[in-house]
Amino acid sequence: MTESVRMTIDGQEHDVPAGELIIQAAQDKGTYIPRFCWHERMNPVGMCRMCLVEVESPRGPMLVTACTDTVADGMSVDTKGPTVKKAQEAILEFLLANHPLDCPVCDKGGECPLQDQAMSHGPGDSRFVEIKRNYEKPIPISDLVLLDRERCILCARCTRFSDEISGDPLIEFQERGNVTEINTFPDLPFSSYFSGNTVQICPVGALTAKPYRFRARPWDLSRVESSGMFDTSHPRISIHSSQNQILRIVGVDNDATNHGWLSDKDRFGFEYLGSEDRLTTPLVKRGGELVAVGWAEALDIVANRIDLIWEEDGGSAFGVIGGARGTNEDAYALSKFARVTLGTNNVDCRMDDALSSHFLAGSVDRALISDLDTADTILIWAADLKEEHPNLYLRARRAAQELGVKLIIVHPRATGLDDRATHKLHYRPGGGFALLDEIAEGVHPEIASALAAQKVVVIVGQTSFADDPKLAESVAALVRSKAGTVRIMPLARRANTFGALDMGLGPDLLPGRVSVGAIGCASLAESWGEFPTSPGKDTRSILEGLDDGEIRCLLLVGADPVNDLPIGAIARDALEAAEYVVSIDLFLNDSNADADVILPALGFAEKEGLVTNVEGRVQKVNAISPGPGQARADWSILADIADRVGRPLGLALAETIAKEIAEVAPAYEGVTWDLLEWDERDGVVVPIQGSQQINHIPVSLAGPRAPRAGLTLHVARTLYDDGVLMRHSPSLHRLAPGPLVHLNPEDARRLGAQGGRPMRVVTKHGEGDFAAVIDEDTPEGVVFVPFNQPGGVSLGTDPVVRVTAVSG
Amino acid sequence: MSIWSEETQVRAKEIISRYPEKRSAVMPLLYLAMAEDGYLTDEGMEEVALWVGITPAQVRSVASFYTMYKREKTGRYLVSCCTSISCMLLGGDDILHAVEDESGVPHGETDDEGLLSVEHVECIGACGGAPAVQVNYELIEGVTSEKARDLVNWLRSARPEVVNTDEMQELFGGVRSFDWAVSEVDGAIGPYPAFQPLGTVGTEVGE
Repeated sequence: MTESVRMTIDGQEHDVPAGELIIQAAQDKGTYIPRFCWHERMNPVGMCRMCLVEVESPRGPMLVTACTDTVADGMSVDTKGPTVKKAQEAILEFLLANHPLDCPVCDKGGECPLQDQAMSHGPGDSRFVEIKRNYEKPIPISDLVLLDRERCILCARCTRFSDEISGDPLIEFQERGNVTEINTFPDLPFSSYFSGNTVQICPVGALTAKPYRFRARPWDLSRVESSGMFDTSHPRISIHSSQNQILRIVGVDNDATNHGWLSDKDRFGFEYLGSEDRLTTPLVKRGGELVAVGWAEALDIVANRIDLIWEEDGGSAFGVIGGARGTNEDAYALSKFARVTLGTNNVDCRMDDALSSHFLAGSVDRALISDLDTADTILIWAADLKEEHPNLYLRARRAAQELGVKLIIVHPRATGLDDRATHKLHYRPGGGFALLDEIAEGVHPEIASALAAQKVVVIVGQTSFADDPKLAESVAALVRSKAGTVRIMPLARRANTFGALDMGLGPDLLPGRVSVGAIGCASLAESWGEFPTSPGKDTRSILEGLDDGEIRCLLLVGADPVNDLPIGAIARDALEAAEYVVSIDLFLNDSNADADVILPALGFAEKEGLVTNVEGRVQKVNAISPGPGQARADWSILADIADRVGRPLGLALAETIAKEIAEVAPAYEGVTWDLLEWDERDGVVVPIQGSQQINHIPVSLAGPRAPRAGLTLHVARTLYDDGVLMRHSPSLHRLAPGPLVHLNPEDARRLGAQGGRPMRVVTKHGEGDFAAVIDEDTPEGVVFVPFNQPGGVSLGTDPVVRVTAVSG
Repeated sequence: MSIWSEETQVRAKEIISRYPEKRSAVMPLLYLAMAEDGYLTDEGMEEVALWVGITPAQVRSVASFYTMYKREKTGRYLVSCCTSISCMLLGGDDILHAVEDESGVPHGETDDEGLLSVEHVECIGACGGAPAVQVNYELIEGVTSEKARDLVNWLRSARPEVVNTDEMQELFGGVRSFDWAVSEVDGAIGPYPAFQPLGTVGTEVGE
């Protein structure tokens, strides 16, 4: 489609796409033009002048900035001649007039574009003898980022990022002329969820990240590429470590998932891995105390108990919760362990806060992240992407802001994307079905017409716990009936939920997107032997089963249901009632602190394996650190228990597990480590060939109704919360908003609420005091409480709420 | 919710309605904010940000770029002496020194009373009538050191509600660039640039 033009670069003729920038065209043809301000993923500004090249024009040769001029037919560009060289040297001499030569104490030293280009293109000398700009250094511009204004070369990369990409331009050029600087508004910090990207793209050491500052020199770091594991989009990352300690994570540019950008959670959320609180040895409860024991002893204890319960009550006495944080290999081992060793389908990686497993794993018209770029309309009826799926937020923002895609947002309150929405609808929590009926009946014609487009991507999930999980399926069903081509992106929380479901960590699923009891079972049985053929219990039912004694033994794998379940009390009661609890985890948490046996597991970046993201894209995660103490990979722990129980898994190496998956799991046919390491670095979307898919039957539009009057509760997650990994990542944990209740100014007036003052919030499932935030983003009648905050209480799922001012 | 007076809010709405994108109204609204508080406060800039839908950092970026947005307390009369080429050649620096000397206010500062601020400025577009001085951006051309001192004393004693270019030209000016220019009856009521309808009094042009 794109026409090409013929141009000359340094005497060589090339065909390049029409309309491309000279700098891009030259780079694609192997000629690197030096630059500071230009960034492939942002609009050009021509700010730094480093990319000057000489172009033949009707008025003779002239210097132009290669980042702002587009190629033309017959154009002749010189990037290396004497005029260009003189210009480049002059620009560098000017930039270094004010830039301090403090490279020895600068974090950027060794990987600094200014340092590198001064070396490769600079004059090597300076005529500048005057005094350089002098500023207080460095000043914090947010809790995570420091600014050294002396080093800044005013390239506008950080300001463009925050304006064009993340949509929170809280830093901008201030003042003018020789005193121009980047800064925030006084007392209004650069508190962006994406602030770390500015540190990564800063071409000098002006912006540095607090967690990494002075921790290492770049040339001392070991590096490995991997996938980010804080949300289900799995951005491409590079993990850098020194002496087995992970020191930082940077984004890797990749068209498929993240364009090189990362949320601060993906970037700085690794601190928990090096936490002092990591479990390093198996723990066994003796006389009410947890006692450290050796692996052999711990595994014997667990295996004996499993044997005992199995003899007495069989597989139905077991339940398995978790597995969404590990690799596919871990998940597969857990799935096989549950079916083969424990003999149960009571297994679930979801935490009672998710859409149906068949909808998540089996929607055949699943969207790719890159479909957002090419859609006509995007409908987001899901969590606030900025809070729960920050990488998707960036992609959706780009689609709406830069690519002109129509964006429809349906949510109980304003979301991070509302400023870019073509249409937005706010509804009372629990009123989703009523609103859907209205749309179906044509009450909102502008939305109906936007949905009747040629290509529509629907991002669906639960906006809050009050939403019926079936609502998302109904939304998808409605759009499927209206639009031309529809792609569905069902959202789930916990990084490898999609991988875990694909490995069969659902009560009604088996590896490879096969339903329990379906024909696919038979081929799996050949490899696995005997296992139950009727669907098991989901997380909620497992916990209820523990409570009434039907289930005697619970295996928790990287799960903290007390904090993660919408109604924490259900998990708390169940764990108290449980006869025997075994936990495989990184930390002690509120759910396993009273377990009978706790086995220390390896975490992210400590083991190799595959993971599957929201698109069904399978990518590799790699190890760079050996992990603390005696911690082991989930799959190897499970394999050892299974051996002792006498119903072995036959799994000996992560890589061979992947091979077994590629053989027995239909959707994963042919997906091996070799394929991903050598052929498909961006991963592959499964199934590679159109192999078996679950036949998902969409539900009708009918559903429960919301209360029409009074206050309704909207409980939803924020990016930073009191989750167990966040708790052990101090840089981010302190940014959690805490126990807050957001009220519309009108409601606040009526209730006598004042900003910052405590309010008592009471629901069917809990009550507690929350500090009031008066907030126009929250519509009248809606009460927003961020979920799982340090110092907060669990309020459950029922939208009926009472809010009163706390006196005194 | 706005920190501005009813009158200012009406003006802000009217100004915003003139632009297809409301953020384009940031500059005139900054003058409103100055008029409201006497100078540009942080609160004023935050208010502008709310009105035009950009962040305070972006508003401050604009405000700090232009010298006529005063982010510090400015006197009731802002005396701006031009020291660019034409004025400098014809004694602009002498005029500045005369104003500083007579008022006791060094350039860039304001007297204790809050009456006079003195500044030296780059070209104010009156090269034909150099050396030139402005009071609250109302122009006086062909000024001498003597007349400049008179001007300072006049501002101190007469304390006019409105300063008007024609009146001051008559009292303290000399050679004008264009003495055939249309007479300007509007004047300035404070140290912010006059534009309709803010900061000007008297009849509209053509009336």
